[in-house]
Amino acid sequence: MSPEATALLQGTLHMLILKSLMTGELHGLGVSRRIEQITQGTFVVKPGSLFPALHRMEEEGWISSSWGDSENNRRAKYYRLTRAGRRQLQNETERWGRIALAITRTLEAS
Amino acid sequence: MTRARLASLFRNLVRGKRVERDLDEEVRAHELLLADEKMRAGMDPRAARRQARLELGGVEQVKEQVREVRAGHVLDSLFQDARYGLRALLKSPGFTLTVILTLALSVGANTAIFSLVNALLLKSLPYPHPERTGTIYTRISGSQPSDERHNLNGEQWELLRDEVPALTSGLFGTTTGVNLKAGSNLRYVHNGRVSAHYFDVLALQPVLGRNFSEEEDRPGGPKAVILSYSLWRSALSADPNVLGRSILLKSEPHAIVGVLPEGAVTPLGADVYTALQPSRDGEGRGTNFKVILRLREGATWQQADAQVNRVWSRRSVRYELNGNPGAQVTYHSVPLQKGQTDSLRPQVLTLMLSAAFILLIACANLAGLTLVRMLRRMPEVATQIALGASSWQMQRRYWAENLLLALVGGAVGITVASFALRLLFLLLPEHFLPVASVALDGRVLGFTLGVSLLTSLLFGMLPALAAQKVDFRSGMARRAVANAGNLSLRQALIAGEVALTVVLLCGSGLLIRSLVHLQTLPPGFNREGLMVAKASLDDVRYHDPAAFQKLLVDSTAAMRRIPGVQNAAAGSNLPYEFTGNDWITLSDGQEAGHEGGADWVYVTPGYFETLEMPLLAGRFLTEADGPGAQHVAVVNRAFAGKFYGGRNPVGRYINNDTVIVGEVADVPLSSGLDRVAPLQTEETLYVPAAQLDDRPSRNQPVLSVVHVWIQPDWIVRTAGPVAGLTGQMEHALASADPDLPVSGFYSMKDLLARTLAMQRIEVALLGALAALALMLSAVGVFALVANIVAERTREIGIRMALGSTVGQAMREIGRSGLGASITGVILGLAASVGVLRVLRSVVFGVGVYDAPTFSTVTLLMVLVALAATILPALRIAKVDPARTLRED
Repeated sequence: MSPEATALLQGTLHMLILKSLMTGELHGLGVSRRIEQITQGTFVVKPGSLFPALHRMEEEGWISSSWGDSENNRRAKYYRLTRAGRRQLQNETERWGRIALAITRTLEAS
Repeated sequence: MTRARLASLFRNLVRGKRVERDLDEEVRAHELLLADEKMRAGMDPRAARRQARLELGGVEQVKEQVREVRAGHVLDSLFQDARYGLRALLKSPGFTLTVILTLALSVGANTAIFSLVNALLLKSLPYPHPERTGTIYTRISGSQPSDERHNLNGEQWELLRDEVPALTSGLFGTTTGVNLKAGSNLRYVHNGRVSAHYFDVLALQPVLGRNFSEEEDRPGGPKAVILSYSLWRSALSADPNVLGRSILLKSEPHAIVGVLPEGAVTPLGADVYTALQPSRDGEGRGTNFKVILRLREGATWQQADAQVNRVWSRRSVRYELNGNPGAQVTYHSVPLQKGQTDSLRPQVLTLMLSAAFILLIACANLAGLTLVRMLRRMPEVATQIALGASSWQMQRRYWAENLLLALVGGAVGITVASFALRLLFLLLPEHFLPVASVALDGRVLGFTLGVSLLTSLLFGMLPALAAQKVDFRSGMARRAVANAGNLSLRQALIAGEVALTVVLLCGSGLLIRSLVHLQTLPPGFNREGLMVAKASLDDVRYHDPAAFQKLLVDSTAAMRRIPGVQNAAAGSNLPYEFTGNDWITLSDGQEAGHEGGADWVYVTPGYFETLEMPLLAGRFLTEADGPGAQHVAVVNRAFAGKFYGGRNPVGRYINNDTVIVGEVADVPLSSGLDRVAPLQTEETLYVPAAQLDDRPSRNQPVLSVVHVWIQPDWIVRTAGPVAGLTGQMEHALASADPDLPVSGFYSMKDLLARTLAMQRIEVALLGALAALALMLSAVGVFALVANIVAERTREIGIRMALGSTVGQAMREIGRSGLGASITGVILGLAASVGVLRVLRSVVFGVGVYDAPTFSTVTLLMVLVALAATILPALRIAKVDPARTLRED
């Protein structure tokens, strides 16, 4: 992960996690791999960022968790979006859209 | 915070263990999943596991990162800091105990004193709408300006009552001791004499019956009485049909018209209340009444003040201008609370100031102790910081520790305070404070908490600032940090607290000297072997001169017959007691026409002999000085000095027809004439009790008024202790009048103590605070020297190895403690010169710059500082140079 990517990740990690859970429940590693996949490897979320974010988001009520079995029969904690989470994702997406647009305009201006 | 976050906070706090286990499991599962992934990619199991661990970056670190974002993280770490602090404190019990004791004593003293301030000056009076109650102050400008509560005369009262529509006014006179007879129940009670509407001002409604009517308050109106709840229960067995029943008060039938509610507090605190029946005559000729006010609905205090000033400015006699011609006199209302407690305000505020001194002294001690502790722990702290603890974390731990100490110290302080208050109440005479109780209420506890926190902030600040200058890297390298800057800071703290202690010691020293002066005034009589009985003659039967005379003759004769009694007599008052006074006109010689006030005492024959007062000229009074005989009087030396320039007064005439037959020595008494001290000797006129009837004072018979204010004394002299003396005196009095209860028995020492109650309390309270200050200062000096010895053990060892003696080393070390103390003493003496001026009005017989006091205090302080220096310095003798050098 390049230093530039870290800075970007700060504000957007929650959004990326919410997005990764749109298609169904995932455990922590699954979330991390899913983000890599969606961003085509631009962002690699390390456990030191991932778990605090997951727990924080669960405390906010955006995601919920339950224990389940993984593909090769390991117990893992699975996270899924709550209704509040979907709303939050929608809000963040809109906000991000506005920010991205604004930044693009700023950079294009001469 | 959202509701979800709040729920999480709750879960994290309450089910912390489960949450932790969950987290641990989750992170470990993640590691395994990672390893699985790598194995699937073809890595061999051992390499995969190692790679997974590396990628995870440590289970504990991840968990810590999660914890930091959790709800309640701050609270959690606070608990952790507190736990850590507690452990650290338990590890050094000596330090912890010293700090907690210091805090407990200083915070306790402050809490106790503040609860007095609270009860006297802050708490609202227990009446509805206390802000609408008040009293009147008289402000006089001119050569002798003043602004205080004056007593009222009858004219002022009538104008106030009838012509000030903005106010409901209540009047009261001196509370008197009277005899009550209800059926066969005979007892001595305190009678509050109040006007109609007095209880309306306090908004007190009787539980039975009603308040006094205006009819009952008119001079000569029907005699009525209102009972306090406790008297109703004890003397009338709580009889619900008591209204309209008649009881005897002062031997006159009074109809019971009301019973006050249980626990009702009036400023008078009497057992029964009778209508004052004030007028412009009699008592109302002089300023003998006090007033309380309640603002009427819709009126303002400004309106009330304007009305009072208007009606009182057109009086016939404006006594306020006597001796102060041309002065401006205005009246203004003040809250009743202030009016009632103003006389105690200076004392209470002085105490509060002294208590604040104690707090500062304690803070100085604690700052010194904490500083040393912090410097000692510097290597440990530096190590922890090197291992990754943040400086902020260390700061937090330090403050958590201080906070913990402050809270524990404050809690113990509250216990100390409640104990101190109980002790104080044992010391105080009944009805001394104008409040029913002094409680540790919410405001006091809040104050205590505030003071504790403030203390921890004060004593924590200095070390924290000093420690900022310490370089952690060098701190870790060196074993001990003893730099000169910190030593001088600690010395400055000691000097400061010694200075404050000296001020307190000088103040209490002056009060003690003053009390000793008052208690050892030349008595002018023989104090030993006297027993006194008092009884109220405020009784209609004794308005008759013959009955009064017969009572005195019969009762003193009966007392003289008690086996072991050498002599007995009676008089309106004794030495040390409050004395009435009268206006005297000289009738002959070059002084004819001269006038002046003099204390006035009536006595039976044998009074001087029983007291063993020396006769200086002429003769004592005898049975021959009876009702029909030549009017005679005996005067004291001060009288002869004031009116006759010290020449022999015997044979001179006063008040037209009274001849002075003797001159006796002066005795100390509590003056009502020209009060400059609580006890003083003053010009006094002794007249025979038998001649009272035809001695009109202010144009009315003396006997019907004198006993309203004065309760006479019966005195007996015995050679040694007589078994059951008081019982026999009571019996003797009852043989002369079975309906006359004794109100109390006293030795002369008791009478002296009663008069000097205020002085004794001042000495006890300020003395206790000064002793506390002295103790704290001793602890401070001790700790300073002890710590220096500990810090410099190695250096001392080296010096001694090089040939220095123990004595030299002790002098070298001790200099720091003694030097700081002596600087403190000098500063304290200088401060005393400025501060002690405030004591001028309460110190008698000594100047405020009293050399013996100052030198005694200096000596005491230096001796204590010396002891506190030498004790810890003695440890130097135990230093073994060989061992110290081997260390390191």
